[in-house]
Amino acid sequence: MKQPNKFIRNFCIIAHIDHGKSTLADRLMELTGQVSKRDMEEQLLDSMDIERERGITIKLTPVRMFYDADDGNEYVFNLIDTPGHVDFTYEVSRSLAACEGAILIVDASQGIEAQTLANVYLALENNLEILPVINKIDLPSARPDEAKHEIEDVIGLDASYAPLVSAKDGTNIKEVLEDAVKYFPAPQGDEDAPLKALIFDSYYDNYKGVILFVRLKDGKVEVGDRITTFRSDKVYEVTEVGVFAPHMLPKDGLYAGEVGYIAASIKSIQDVAVGDTVINADNRAAEPLPGYKKVQSVVFCGIYPLDGSKFGDLKDALLKLQLNDASLVFEPDTSQALGFGFRCGFLGLLHMEIMQERLEREFNLDIITTAPSVSYKVNKTDGEVIFVDNPSHLPPVSEIESMEEPIVHADIYSPPDYLGQIMDLCRDKRGIFEQMTYLDANRVKLEYRLPLNEIIFDFFDKIKSRTRGYASFDYELLGYEKSKLVKLDILLNGDVCDALSIIVHEDSAYPRGRTLCENLKEAIPRQLFEIPVQAAVGGKIIARETVKAMRKDVLAKCYGGDITRKKKLLEKQKEGKKRMRTIGSVEVPSEVFMQILKTNDE
Amino acid sequence: MSGIYVHIPFCKSKCRYCDFTSFPDKIGFAESYMACLYHEMAMRGEELKDYVFDTLYIGGGTPSVVDEKYIAMLVAAAKKYFKLKDGAEITIEMNPGTVSAGKIALYKKCGINRFSVGLQSAVDAQLEDVGRCHNLNQFLACAKLLKGENFSVDVMIGLKGQTLADIEKTIEVAAGSGASHISMYALTPEDGTPIYTDYLNGELPDGDEVAEMYAFGVNKLKELGFERYEVSNFCKKGKESRHNLNYWRRGEYIGVGVSASSCIKNVRFTNTFDLDEYFKCIMSNRFPVVDSTQIDERGAMDETVMLALRTAEGLDTAKFNADFKCDFKEVYASALKKNAQYLTGENGRLRVKDEYLYVQNSIICDFLGC
Repeated sequence: MKQPNKFIRNFCIIAHIDHGKSTLADRLMELTGQVSKRDMEEQLLDSMDIERERGITIKLTPVRMFYDADDGNEYVFNLIDTPGHVDFTYEVSRSLAACEGAILIVDASQGIEAQTLANVYLALENNLEILPVINKIDLPSARPDEAKHEIEDVIGLDASYAPLVSAKDGTNIKEVLEDAVKYFPAPQGDEDAPLKALIFDSYYDNYKGVILFVRLKDGKVEVGDRITTFRSDKVYEVTEVGVFAPHMLPKDGLYAGEVGYIAASIKSIQDVAVGDTVINADNRAAEPLPGYKKVQSVVFCGIYPLDGSKFGDLKDALLKLQLNDASLVFEPDTSQALGFGFRCGFLGLLHMEIMQERLEREFNLDIITTAPSVSYKVNKTDGEVIFVDNPSHLPPVSEIESMEEPIVHADIYSPPDYLGQIMDLCRDKRGIFEQMTYLDANRVKLEYRLPLNEIIFDFFDKIKSRTRGYASFDYELLGYEKSKLVKLDILLNGDVCDALSIIVHEDSAYPRGRTLCENLKEAIPRQLFEIPVQAAVGGKIIARETVKAMRKDVLAKCYGGDITRKKKLLEKQKEGKKRMRTIGSVEVPSEVFMQILKTNDE
Repeated sequence: MSGIYVHIPFCKSKCRYCDFTSFPDKIGFAESYMACLYHEMAMRGEELKDYVFDTLYIGGGTPSVVDEKYIAMLVAAAKKYFKLKDGAEITIEMNPGTVSAGKIALYKKCGINRFSVGLQSAVDAQLEDVGRCHNLNQFLACAKLLKGENFSVDVMIGLKGQTLADIEKTIEVAAGSGASHISMYALTPEDGTPIYTDYLNGELPDGDEVAEMYAFGVNKLKELGFERYEVSNFCKKGKESRHNLNYWRRGEYIGVGVSASSCIKNVRFTNTFDLDEYFKCIMSNRFPVVDSTQIDERGAMDETVMLALRTAEGLDTAKFNADFKCDFKEVYASALKKNAQYLTGENGRLRVKDEYLYVQNSIICDFLGC
């Protein structure tokens, strides 16, 4: 048995959004000479445009660094940057499985946030060593002692040795590196044993095929090796292995304990799954590594190409995204209003938004998305139980015995000043109050039982706006509960528009129907005839607005010279029309399908 | 049919809604400009010697601010360099504040036989508001000088604070002045014009109100014997503007002067909008064209439909089929089907129903490149 290199440290960083995770990672890379300050783009690890713009990390990103420690040895650090948002817990759990340690960053002025906590527990579950780091000590409002105190109180970690740093100014960064050497264990494993490598991420490269991001637990892999995975029977020859420096740097081989990538001309995206174990085809390991828990989609929506002929492009794009993010699920779906598209499942609202944005940006697709929905349990009169996440697939009322909806347990953390607003909001959202705990003079934890479908609608935005962004919240699924749910249909000029149907609680059907009709009235352009916009439940109209017929659109003057200009204007108008969907006889701009998300009360 | 358009880019002052090319501060260049016009006509005349033109239209700006002798020379030059048909319609645009008996006498003498007068409103406060440099009385005086002549009056709807009663009065004044033709335009607040700020501040009547005004105006004009022959144009029987009809029938025309547009042999082109550039080009014997587009067969078909549907006579489908050697019904089948309820076709002519004439953009859209 050959022990892995004892100078390797594999670790990740856990932090709340905006507590300075990516900035600290950049400092670590700078200090280890991985990138010079001059060459460094701001926030190197957040390489996607969306990540930089939103200032958040969505994808985990691995990077390898060399560090000459005070003990005289050179260490190899494999840092895996992880997302902070609750929706991306799945990503986090994948990075954690590839590490032995985790740096926990806590903002010296804000203390621990709910999402951080969830990830800390995840790290503890994975038996990771946790190193707390207090960041942003340069801020005038920094209260490092209170932050330490909170770490000890809330998590139960000894924070007395936590380095006090400012990632922004570069203060005390070396201390973090020294502590990583000291507190994080070297990887365990056996370099002589058969290959076992955990695939913790992957993406598709147009030239090299699928690139697997792996953590080797046992054995080694070199160029020319024949590999396969536990769940697939296909064998591939390794064409390239390497490490992240932070850009991909080829090497001759990867060995137990190391983090790197493997390319093996894997052409089919479906053949390799994140969480699977890579093994040597000629020297098969007997047991796979424990993979990942299969994640459940929580939020669903329909995604359709704006231009119906782009269905194939949309499918390819989704497949490629899925390769990079196994938590995305989708299946083909059709809508009378929107044609052919996909029903997609996401881990949360932010996850959904990010995916939509990536489809538009990275794949240049114009898409229409329908209102998000959760998965409802329908107990039919014939005893059959089905799950429905697409309102238009709901069976007729006569066949429904009862319906159940997913319920979550939500922890909301807030300064006490905003308790009233939060409680009002939770009540509006059918929440049931469970408990309130004062964490300290400035922080209260509220616990609620809430229906998930109320949260996916606009809960997060509202809680942020009502508490000026101070509150944070986290939730976990509890299960299903019976509820009086109805399907709310929208009729345009008498025709039901399936893409606008939603499932709502009986009590909110009327106000939601009202709001929807009002919003749609504003969003649907006037046409040559009057358009009734109606909301209906079970065939009964409960609200109505009218889009009046257009009375003037003509260009009054049409002189000689105007002809070219007029034609251009008409062609522009025609282009606009092309981007519309026809429902019955009504032309509807694609933005209309998002109106369903808006509410009027704030 | 074919026509000649000459642009005179000078005015006493710029109206607040005006989006045309005109330079109120450059009237001093008028003499040189007119000389350039004659020269441009000479250049074009050589090129278009096979054409016989039916109309000459002198527009602007305000052609009547220029000394009348230059206008007379302009008409003479047009007759010299182009072939103008006997009895050609020769129109000049004028502003009521810039005319005199002598001016009109000379216009008539040089062959101008049609006049277009901008009244816009019979309410002085509204005239002042949009920056017109004349009042109602000046219009009445001008109309008196034009007594017995074939003339047209422009009126506007959609002005700030305008009521239906104001429109009624304006139309009555226009009709009572002896005009044979009335153009009723809705104010279009173009970005970049001073009136656009009024629009942004919500001070102008909205689309529905303008539609109301228009419907009211159409009825009023009809009562007074003016039939609509195009969206914004009304006349006594047989008094259509032949020059404008040529545009709507997609006839050929040559534009002379700064910013003037032309359509000759399926090429649409436009002269420079810059006065200095115009001078430079003409003085170096170059055409001042800045933009030129060849219209393909399908484009020509679309234009024909787009323009014809503006008119009361509509589209002569048999002529269309013969001109383009195709079957109109087949080419435009989808647009025809979709808009069947808004169209009417009698005597082989396809028209937009009267009640939809004012919302025809969305109908015509469907015909473009369908």
